Amino acid sequence: MGKKKKRTSSKVWCYYCDREFEDEKILVQHQKAKHFKCHVCHKKLSTAGGMIIHVLQVHKESVTKVPNAKPSRESTDIEIYGMQGIPPDVLAAHYGEEEDDAPSKVAKVDIPSTSLGGVVPGSSGIGYPQPTLSTMQPMGGVGYSYNSAVPVPPAAWAVPPRSHPWYQQYPAVSFPPPPPLGYAQQPLFPVQNMRPPLPSTTSPALQQPSQINPPGLPIFNPAPVSQPLFPVVGSNNMATQSSPFSAPTLSTSILSSSPTEVKGSIDAHSGANTSVTGNYQALSIPGGPLINSHSYASGPNTGGPSIGPPPVIANKATATEPATNEVYLVWDDEAMSMEERRMSLMKYQVHDETSQMSSIDAAIDKRILESRLAGRMAF
Amino acid sequence: MTSVAPPAPGRELSNPPSDGISNLRFSNHSDHLLVSSWDKSVRLYDASANALRGEFLHGGPVLDCCFHDDSSGFSASADHTVRRLLFSSNKEDILGRHDAPVRCVEYSYAAGQLITGSWDKTLKCWDPRGASGQDRTLVGTYPQPERVYSLSLVGNRLVVATAGRHVNVYDLRNMSQPEQRRESSLKYQTRCVRCYPNGTGYALSSVEGRVAMEFFDLSEASQAKKYAFKCHRKSEAGRDIVYPVNAIAFHPVYGTFATGGCDGYVNVWDGNNKKRLYQYSKYPTSIAALSFSRDGRLLAVASSYTYEEGDKPHEPDAIYVRSVNEIEVKPKPKVYPNPPA
Repeated sequence: MGKKKKRTSSKVWCYYCDREFEDEKILVQHQKAKHFKCHVCHKKLSTAGGMIIHVLQVHKESVTKVPNAKPSRESTDIEIYGMQGIPPDVLAAHYGEEEDDAPSKVAKVDIPSTSLGGVVPGSSGIGYPQPTLSTMQPMGGVGYSYNSAVPVPPAAWAVPPRSHPWYQQYPAVSFPPPPPLGYAQQPLFPVQNMRPPLPSTTSPALQQPSQINPPGLPIFNPAPVSQPLFPVVGSNNMATQSSPFSAPTLSTSILSSSPTEVKGSIDAHSGANTSVTGNYQALSIPGGPLINSHSYASGPNTGGPSIGPPPVIANKATATEPATNEVYLVWDDEAMSMEERRMSLMKYQVHDETSQMSSIDAAIDKRILESRLAGRMAF
Repeated sequence: MTSVAPPAPGRELSNPPSDGISNLRFSNHSDHLLVSSWDKSVRLYDASANALRGEFLHGGPVLDCCFHDDSSGFSASADHTVRRLLFSSNKEDILGRHDAPVRCVEYSYAAGQLITGSWDKTLKCWDPRGASGQDRTLVGTYPQPERVYSLSLVGNRLVVATAGRHVNVYDLRNMSQPEQRRESSLKYQTRCVRCYPNGTGYALSSVEGRVAMEFFDLSEASQAKKYAFKCHRKSEAGRDIVYPVNAIAFHPVYGTFATGGCDGYVNVWDGNNKKRLYQYSKYPTSIAALSFSRDGRLLAVASSYTYEEGDKPHEPDAIYVRSVNEIEVKPKPKVYPNPPA
């Protein structure tokens, strides 16, 4: 179609780390949590400069680089807030780059096919992104062997507003509707059509919920995060829960090989349950046969060992988490528990200063020390 | 007065604590509910009658509490004390102290001892039959790799979860060293650990919206059964919001369990069949604690902001006691004629 290539003006992005966001409000929250946060007391400031001054005045320490920023964007001289303050050359480069990125990214995408192999009948090169844009396959899980229990949750995908072209610009690539959905995965992060992982610099995570609507292909509704591997029985929300979630298959195949945490393991979709379930009924699921072949963890790589590498900072899309969506941890302080942090608040300081204060101080000092030593997240 | 309709969050207990609720427990002998709070109090309620029966004030926020029997209980406080609470006389005395806030307390009927875990990185065992005073009651102190975050007991086994994702499994009959030293299979900070009522393993939850189901038996066959699942997450605006899973409570009869998270939801799961059985409607704020009554007919839910986002205005802290319907907690076995044992 003759859709014009759109700039990422429809999506905002962070100057410091090049990540993209749906709207500026979320971008600002991200900046405050990742770039403008004091590493000592975790107070979120409103700008990088403000954070630096705070650290200097309150903690007597000099901060010279913006935390969690890419090497060329670490300078503290630039005043950024949301999308404001981005130097014009960087702005232009970002958009220009996004166009070049696409083709190369397409080629680079690599989908571990092992686990998917058996599952996707006939779809060519499961998820192997074709060198040309035009043959994107709606394959889920870039880089993730997401074997979701329900191979085909097409039902789960509502049709997003058509007016949202991928910001990536693939002009209405019309995807050949993949054979039986070819999704072996119901990715937790619906990767729609295997798009070249994301525009520009965002990490491989596909973030975009919107996609071009392949003719005849159901569109994924980004929201549903999947098909709870823990299918809801007893349907408190679901009227007719059936087909895909065939329990027997799930339990038996789940975790055949990797113990503990199977990547992309059972995902109990909690909050948005209702919306998801509603969707399930929408489509009849052609993927019947896929269900059984859905072998979880049969392949070696179901996302890597569950115990092992220290936790990666959740907000970065990493290989351990099929993060097509950005993952935002409500509690991301590995060094302290919620109760410890709460205890350090003034209102809980006991008047008996001797024991209480010293233990609180000790706890705070310990946290500071640990966070410095451990580099903040590696446990 | 029992509102049983599913949409209702349950009956709200009157006279709740004036600050956050750290834990709540049903008694093994009646429908009495013991509630510990950040307002430095421990309160005893009669949940069926919706009445406050007793209140004890400590020197600092109380982080945990448990029953001994229907006439007494214990508490763990941030003022470093471990206290015994006598309900009939409303008196309390200090059983002993740690060197830092005491985070968890559990009473073992099997061993006749009280076990406490603290941020001072130790576990202590106490014999509550003695007179008070640390020298008389302290049975032993067991160093842990890190600050203790959660404890759970079943039979003769004790599971201790600490900061740094360590998990120690002890046999109460021989505390000189852990029976197993493990690491949480979840990659993020541990939030809560609870043993299965059947004693074969434990469930462990983290701050990253995930629960791991583990087994004590280290044989291949048993270890193959372990798994983890994601829960208490919400997807919106292109990103996944992942909430800590603060509480786990097992149903005493069916062995299914409920989890409560900072998202304000309580989910009930069938661990054997790997299914979610039910999700209660959203509570006003984070779920800080859960407890099933001894017959499994009541579920107490502490809807109390847990400061995951710092000090900010929040919904009032409340305790809801809801009647549990069988359909919400009973496992639905697959097609076999006999449900898996």
